[in-house]
Amino acid sequence: MSVQRALRAAALFVALVAMHYFVRPLLGWRVSMDFLVIAMLLVSVRVRPGVAAVVGFALGLIGDSLHPETFGAGALAMSIVGFGASWLKAVFFSDNVFLHAFFFFVGKWAFDVVFVVAARQGGVYDMATQIFLWSPLAAAMTAVTGVVVLLLFRSMLEAPSS
Amino acid sequence: MARAARSGSRADTALFATCALLALLATVLPLPIRDAIASSLRRTVVAPLLALQERAERARTAFAARDAVAAQVDSLVLRNAELGQLAHENATLRGLLSLSRQLQWGFLPSEALHGRGTGDEHMLILTRGAEDGVQPRSAVVAPAGLIGQVTTVDPSTSLAILWTHPDFRASAMAADGTAFGIVRPHLGEEPERSLLELRGVAFRDALKPGTLILTSGLGGVFPRGIPIGVVMGDVNTSEAWSRTYLLRPAVYPPDVSNVMILTPQRVAAGPMDSVWISVARADSAARGVAASGDSLARLAALAEAQRRRQMDSLRTVLGIPNPADSAKRDSSAAIAPPVRRDTTRKTP
Repeated sequence: MSVQRALRAAALFVALVAMHYFVRPLLGWRVSMDFLVIAMLLVSVRVRPGVAAVVGFALGLIGDSLHPETFGAGALAMSIVGFGASWLKAVFFSDNVFLHAFFFFVGKWAFDVVFVVAARQGGVYDMATQIFLWSPLAAAMTAVTGVVVLLLFRSMLEAPSS
Repeated sequence: MARAARSGSRADTALFATCALLALLATVLPLPIRDAIASSLRRTVVAPLLALQERAERARTAFAARDAVAAQVDSLVLRNAELGQLAHENATLRGLLSLSRQLQWGFLPSEALHGRGTGDEHMLILTRGAEDGVQPRSAVVAPAGLIGQVTTVDPSTSLAILWTHPDFRASAMAADGTAFGIVRPHLGEEPERSLLELRGVAFRDALKPGTLILTSGLGGVFPRGIPIGVVMGDVNTSEAWSRTYLLRPAVYPPDVSNVMILTPQRVAAGPMDSVWISVARADSAARGVAASGDSLARLAALAEAQRRRQMDSLRTVLGIPNPADSAKRDSSAAIAPPVRRDTTRKTP
């Protein structure tokens, strides 16, 4: 990956993180897209799995800093998702839009599942509701947003040479 | 090559394991430690993102509240537009209260409804009638002076002609009693139509502009002492042995919405010279009290501001920190005058 391309990807990464803290509160929807997961997945396919885990850990800590009662759960979930996505980079960067959407969906849902289990907030019913109702909806929203981001920044996000 | 790939893979796994272990460790840390770490993150790395989130929340709240804010602004504008009307109404009612205090007895307060039809512009409909004791030819007055005379009485309402009516006549005199005449409406073209004439004044009795004209009490319809108007100047007429003066009326009928109807008993009881003088004094006294209240409040605010300035300069000389400065308070708030109480509102 050239330096220029790396800088572009880094800029997009920062922009996505910023959007997570600007667009979501602005919309105020009950089910909302997760720009942190999108940023994480986009970075993961460009770096080694170990680095992806570290980036995920850092991103997770940023998210966790606003919720001390679940501190660490986001970092764990993001590390796992980043590490896993980096292993699957070949599949992830195929040219199929539906495959992209599917992996954004799976990434966000996997993140939520790990997060809910690690955080252990509420009872089993609440956790199940979160995992099987709200999380799939949020994952679908994230998948749509991720595909839109990919289409908008296609030139910046050309597939890295494997 | 394969060894390098294997070692890279091991490094990746090790990094992932380390991250996962640290994250798990973070989840089981005591809450105070987690709070401390989260707090330090919020104060440093996450601070710009938090600011961004705060702005977004504020924008969303403002967007959501725009309709309510618009409605509030509309209400304020409407209320502001009504303030002038309320102030006028308040002054009128205050005048009526003052007049009723001076009259003490023999009067009927009434609402005055203005006619809207052609020819009704010189008439008033009063909401008191024969059942209330109103009689024909009763005088209709306002705090500022004479308005007209009752002509027709129904059981619950009555009709009165205004001084603008062509048939209106009133025996009048100068306030010092030196000149007498008959007051009637000035039937010229607009805008002089809204003036009065004092006719039949003896040629020897010259009146200066500004002279107050009152009812004289002659004829028994209007008691003596009700203000009618003020002399503006004389009018040239063909009459050789009398003078005619143009008067600025004391009361403009369109401004009147509440009046007093004087009963014949009250008229027969004698002159009312002191009533309208007292009303005028009471009104000016009320305005004076309000104005002096304002000036006292202003003086108190200025004195407070002066005292604060002296204290500030003293602190500066002695090097004592100013607590107001440390709290970043607006210094202008310190010299702002206190909220003025509604001086027009009377306590029960």
